[in-house]
Amino acid sequence: MSKREGARYPAYVPEYPRSWWLQTGPYRRFAAREITSMFVAAFSGLLLLFLFAVSRGREAYEGFLRWLKLPAVVAVFAVILVAVLYHMATWFRLTAHIQVVRLGRKVVPKSVVIAGLFGTWVLASVIVAYFHIWF
Amino acid sequence: MSLGDILDESDAREVKRRARGAGPSREDRLRRLLRPEPVFWGLFSAGGFVAAFLVPIHVAILGIALAAGWLPSRALSYERVQHLVHLPLVKLYLWGLIALPLYHWAHRFRFAIYHQFGILRWKRFIAVACYGTSIAGTAISAWVLLRI
Repeated sequence: MSKREGARYPAYVPEYPRSWWLQTGPYRRFAAREITSMFVAAFSGLLLLFLFAVSRGREAYEGFLRWLKLPAVVAVFAVILVAVLYHMATWFRLTAHIQVVRLGRKVVPKSVVIAGLFGTWVLASVIVAYFHIWF
Repeated sequence: MSLGDILDESDAREVKRRARGAGPSREDRLRRLLRPEPVFWGLFSAGGFVAAFLVPIHVAILGIALAAGWLPSRALSYERVQHLVHLPLVKLYLWGLIALPLYHWAHRFRFAIYHQFGILRWKRFIAVACYGTSIAGTAISAWVLLRI
């Protein structure tokens, strides 16, 4: 318990060991989810580098594409992809738990909500891929 | 008023008592007006949305499919990419695709430092560093996209 300046009552500040998030499975999965957000930001950085290369002309751009094909870089992207997919799947799962969807009087089961989110994701991915590659 | 001043109260555990008598000071009113949590939470959840629905396919295309040779050679040719990044709608899309996930990261990373690693010192510095990075990323991506 500690009392902050100007507070009328002491604020309860729980104390826990630093490794609390390693203790049980759900805690570990929560921590993993938090950590995977770093890979999302890493991709933002890589996309920014891509745009820099595009803005610096043909040679810089083609050099960047060659860099993207290096095995080490592909390995980094593979790690990012796994992390981002984990982040996505856990987000769908938690959304289905938080957001109760009702149709009339019936509550839509969680599995259906999750399936709907996955379906939306597949659709969004197909649209992005179409514009990215073929359009 | 700095970004740190604005962020200081955004993870408050208690509501501060208002001063009796005189109404809220100018500083207080400004602070309330600039309350950052709704804005940063909005950007955070928008970033989560982008990160879940849009980022995986982009990672797969740029990071894996290109190197594996699954793409038609035209797909990422310089001419085509140049053409695409000059379209205003594509610029807007790329801006969102880069900037919004940064706010998602900033929020998560800020609270991962507090809650996971239990580092409660330098709170203001950590908050400013996290959101400052995303704001900088937003500005840099806007600048690159406008200059391209």
